[in-house]
Amino acid sequence: MFKSITLISAMIVATSAYAVDSPITGNVSSKCSIFTDKAGVYGNPTPDELSTLTADGGVLPIIRYDVSIADYYTAKISWPNSFSSSPTLTDSIAWDGEVTVSATSDAGMSGYEAAKVEYDNHTEYDLTVAGSTWFTVESEAVYGQDKSLPGGEYKANVVAECIAD
Amino acid sequence: MNKFYYGLAICLINSSAIAHELTPTYPELRPSYIDEVSVTNMKMWNRRNDVQYYEIGVFDEEWEPIPFATPAALLKLEYLEHKSFEIYIRDKDVARVEYICTTSKQLKIDVQSTGVKSKICSRMK
Repeated sequence: MFKSITLISAMIVATSAYAVDSPITGNVSSKCSIFTDKAGVYGNPTPDELSTLTADGGVLPIIRYDVSIADYYTAKISWPNSFSSSPTLTDSIAWDGEVTVSATSDAGMSGYEAAKVEYDNHTEYDLTVAGSTWFTVESEAVYGQDKSLPGGEYKANVVAECIAD
Repeated sequence: MNKFYYGLAICLINSSAIAHELTPTYPELRPSYIDEVSVTNMKMWNRRNDVQYYEIGVFDEEWEPIPFATPAALLKLEYLEHKSFEIYIRDKDVARVEYICTTSKQLKIDVQSTGVKSKICSRMK
């Protein structure tokens, strides 16, 4: 009995003797990440049109912005206004597009869509809440006056920018 | 709430999500070992498996380019590679520097129908 008490006492003393704080420290810094969740694809609903709309046979590009701290960045997304590669075109292209918030990770981001600023082919969002925001980009290109687009491969770029405030 | 689940679903379905990061958000210039030249350190992380090249740019408040020097103006980063790099700017230009940016550069053959060009800009305080 005496041996058991001695042993337990020794364990308690030993434990407390070697118990030291092992602090884990960390640092959260502001950061913006741009994810291309889904690459877009143009559909060809009519001979003179290319469109990323699902109804037109296209696939809408989806871009996600992650910000680690609120109010440090502005998202600027631009729908295409030229092809990066295409067959030779002899007439003009009428470009149109729209950027919309399709999903958010925080209810506080519900005001992003109403507060967006649009000019030319650009749309700006002030990322005032930390978390993830998904943006969908529509893009349409209509060729000439009732002319069919020449056969070939067409490519265009959406530009997604994250600019520190 | 539906939007949250929609977002979560996108996260789970699109496990191949690809990203581009540049830190710090607010870099600071300090004197370099070269007279009349300042330097800052930036860090890139390439999580875009469709991009291997990023172009560095330094701009003023009006987005006019400012001359700078760096070991490689066109950074090559493999998928998931981290890279730190230094940017050298002449002291006479330091006051004008507003943005330091990296922009993805995709090879023509890598772009699908609509590619996404990503650009992240840090800002001098």
